[in-house]
Amino acid sequence: MTHPPVTPAGPARVWDEQDDRRALARTWHDPEGFFGWFRATTHQAIGRRYVLTAFIFLLIGGVEAMLMRIQLARPENHFLGPARYNQIFTMHGTTMMFLFAVPVMEGMGIYLVPLMLGTRNVAFPRLNAFGYWIYVMGGIFLYANAFTGAMPDVGWFAYPPLSGPQFSVGKGVDAWAQMITYTEISALCVAVELIVTIFRLRAPGMSLNRIPLYCWSMLIQSFMVVFAMPAVMIASTVMLLNDRTIATHFVNPAEGGDPLLFQHVFWFFGHPEVYIIFLPALGFVSAIVQANSRRQVFGYSAMVLSQVATGFIAFGLWVHHMFATGLPQIGEAYFTAASMMIAVTTGIQIFCWLATLWTGRLRMTAAMHFIFGFLFIFVLGGLTGVMLASIPLDLQSHDTYFVVAHFHYVLIGGALFPLFGAFHHWFPKITGRRIDEGLGKFSFWLLFIGFNVTFFPMHILGLNGMTRRIYTYPASLGWASGNMIATIGAGIIALGGLVFIVNAISSMRRGAGADANPWDAAGLEWSVASPPPPWNFTYQPVVSSRVPLWTDPALRTVVTGMRTDRREVLVTGVTEAEPQFRTVLPGASLWPFLAAAGISIGFAGSIFAFSWYYVAAFLGALGIIGWFWPSPPKDVEP
Amino acid sequence: MSPTRTLDVSGLPAYEISNRAPLWWGQLFMALIEGALFCMLIAMYFYLRLSIDVWPPPGVKPPGLTLPTLALIPLVLSAGGSYAASEGAKRDDRRMMLLGMGGNLALAIVFLVLRFIEWNTFNFTWAADIHGTLVWSILFLHTFDVIADLLMTAILIGIVADNKHGPKQRLGVHVDSVLWYFLVLIWLPLYVAVYWGPRLVGSR
Repeated sequence: MTHPPVTPAGPARVWDEQDDRRALARTWHDPEGFFGWFRATTHQAIGRRYVLTAFIFLLIGGVEAMLMRIQLARPENHFLGPARYNQIFTMHGTTMMFLFAVPVMEGMGIYLVPLMLGTRNVAFPRLNAFGYWIYVMGGIFLYANAFTGAMPDVGWFAYPPLSGPQFSVGKGVDAWAQMITYTEISALCVAVELIVTIFRLRAPGMSLNRIPLYCWSMLIQSFMVVFAMPAVMIASTVMLLNDRTIATHFVNPAEGGDPLLFQHVFWFFGHPEVYIIFLPALGFVSAIVQANSRRQVFGYSAMVLSQVATGFIAFGLWVHHMFATGLPQIGEAYFTAASMMIAVTTGIQIFCWLATLWTGRLRMTAAMHFIFGFLFIFVLGGLTGVMLASIPLDLQSHDTYFVVAHFHYVLIGGALFPLFGAFHHWFPKITGRRIDEGLGKFSFWLLFIGFNVTFFPMHILGLNGMTRRIYTYPASLGWASGNMIATIGAGIIALGGLVFIVNAISSMRRGAGADANPWDAAGLEWSVASPPPPWNFTYQPVVSSRVPLWTDPALRTVVTGMRTDRREVLVTGVTEAEPQFRTVLPGASLWPFLAAAGISIGFAGSIFAFSWYYVAAFLGALGIIGWFWPSPPKDVEP
Repeated sequence: MSPTRTLDVSGLPAYEISNRAPLWWGQLFMALIEGALFCMLIAMYFYLRLSIDVWPPPGVKPPGLTLPTLALIPLVLSAGGSYAASEGAKRDDRRMMLLGMGGNLALAIVFLVLRFIEWNTFNFTWAADIHGTLVWSILFLHTFDVIADLLMTAILIGIVADNKHGPKQRLGVHVDSVLWYFLVLIWLPLYVAVYWGPRLVGSR
C-alpha cells in the first residue's frame, strides 16, 4: 500500500489555534450529567476513576491491617476471634493484591501513557471503560458477599485442600475465586490497550529508543499480564470454582487430581504478579529521578534491557514459593538460581538511579523523599529476598513473620512508596493544583518511620518462630514486645495515611494553581496544560530526543492536518514511529457499562450454579453487539 | 511555546484495513491471551496424566478418533472462507466478504455438529474422574470460544448483507478472520492432547 509522501518538518504556517481548540473541545468532551458519567471514554476520566477506586480499596485494606495489628498487640488477646481473624487477613491480602495494587498501577498507566507518548487517548477507549466497570463490579461483588456473611477465610492464595469443597463450606471461597476473574479481565483489557497504544500511537519520531522509561515499564508489565493472568483464571475459576460447584476433580487426589498443581498454576501467575505491581513503580522512579536530578537517567539501554530481562526471569521463579512442598531437589536448585539472578537485573537499575542522582543537580521534593524511601526499604526487602531464595534458609523461615516482613518490604517499599511519590509528582498535572510540599514531606516521614517500626520487628519475630496467620500467641513465647512495637508502628502508618489524605483533599480544594510544567521536567505530559484538556494535545508533538522538553525550542515540530471534527489519532510505525495513517477512535458510549453489568450479573450467579455462565455469555454478547453496532451514518468515511 | 515547524499529515489515509491497524494488533493480543490459557490447559493435562498409571482410568472409553479427525476437514477449510472474507474486506468487495464469511460459518457449523455428535459417544462426564475433568474443560472452553466467534461472524454477515458496513465494519471482518485462524490453529495441539494423548503417552 502506498502513502502520499510526508514532508517532514515543513515550513511555518499560519493556523488558528483557538479555532482548533474549540472544535476539539466539541469533539472530545465526555458527556455530562448522571448518565453521561457512565458513558465516559477518555483515558483521563477512566484513569482517574481507577486510581480513586483503588485508593478506596487501599483504605479498606489498611483498616483490615489495623484490625489484625490490634488483635496481635498483646498475647492472648480476644479483640478478634480465630475465625474472624482468618477472614480479615484473607480480605486484607486479597484487597491489597487484586483490588488495590494491580488496578492502581493500571490506572496510573491509563492516565499517563497517552500523555507521555504524545497521543490523544488509548487505542481502545471503550475497552478501557469496560475494564474499569468490570473491576469495580468485581470489588463490589467480593465485599457484597463479605458483608452478607460469605467472607473467604483461606488466605489470599486459597490453597486446596483447605479451600476445596470438603473443608470450606459456604460461599466465601467461591466469591473469592470469581472476584479474581473480574479483576483479571480488567487487567487484561488494560494490558492489551496499553501494548497497542505504545506500539502504534506514539508521537511521530518517538522511535523505540526514545520511549520514556515509564512507558517501557508499562509495556513490559502489560506483556507479563497477557501471559500471567490467564493462569490465575484457570487456577481460581476453572480449577477451584468448578471443583466446588460442578464436582470436577482438578484438586481432588481421590480421582487423580492434584492440590499441588493448584499451587503451581497459581504461582505461575503469582510470582509475575509481584513484578506486574513492581515494574510500573520502577517506571515512576525513573521519571521522578530524571525530573528532580535535572539530567537524563543514566544508562537508558541498560535500564530497558534489565526490565525486559526481569520480565522473562519473573516467569521462572514461581517454585520458590513452594520450596517447602517437597519437590525434586534438582528443580528447586534451578529456581534458587533464577531467584538470585533477578536480583542482578534489579540491582543494575538501582545503580543506574544512583549514578543519575550522583551526577545530577538534586532537588528534594516530596516525591523525591518517597523515592529515597523506596531505595532504602526496597534494597532491604531485596536482601531478604536473596536470603529466602536459598532453600535451607527458606525451609526454616517458610510461613513465618520473616516472610511477612520480606514481602511487605518489597511490596510497600517497592511499589507503594514510588506510587506515593508519583502521586505527589503528577498531582499538579492531574488536578491543576500544587500539592503542599511540606505536608507531603511530613506524611513521608510518618509513613517511612511507621513502616520500619511496624515491619522491621517482624524479621526478628519470624526468626524467633512466630508463624503467619496465627490469631494469637501465649506470653511465654516472648513475642509480646515485638508485636507491640509493630502495632505502634501501624498506628504511625495510619497517622501518615491520614496526613496524606488531608493533604490531597486540601490541596485539591485550595492548592495554588499549577502551570503546565511545575518541575521543569522533560516528558511530553508536561507540555500541555494542567489538567490536560480531554484531547491532550491540540497539535501532536513530533519527537526528536528522549527528553523532548529539554531540547532546543527552535527545533520543535508539531503535527498538523488532523481532523478536529471526529476523534482522530495518528497511527505510527512500531519501531521508528513514522506516520502511517490516521484512525478514528470511538466516542462516548453506555454499552461498555451495560456489557460489564451483564457479564457481572452472570458471574455473580455462577458461584451458585454453572448455568449462570450462559446468562453472562448472553447478556455480555448483547452488550458487545450494541457496542459494535454501526452508527447510522457510515461513521468512518475518509 | 510556538513551534516553528510542522508535519502535515492531512495527506495520509484516514483509515487502513490491514495488519497495521490497531484493531488487528488488539485482536492479536486477545488471541495470545487465549493461547496462554489453552497452553496452560495442555500442560495441566500432561502433568496430571503422567502421575497416573492407567489413562484413561479403568472403565472409561478413550475418546474416539474417527469423528474428531473427520471434523478437522471442515474446520481447516473454514479458514479459507475467513481468508476470502478478509481479502474481500481489504478490497471493499461486498460479495467476496459475504461468500467468505458464509463459507466460514457453514463449514464451522458442520464442524460443531460433528463435535456434538461425538460428545454423545463419551461414556464419562467432567465429574467422573480427572481425565473427564480435563477433556471436558478443554472441549468446553474451545467450543465456547468457537461459538462466540461464529456469533460475531453471523452479525457481521448481517451488517454487510444489510449494506450497513463502512471501513470500520470492514476492518471488523478482517480481524474476525484473525481470531478464527487462531481458533483453528490452537485446536490442532488440543486435538492431539485430547485424542492422541491417551494413545501416544505411555504410563510412568
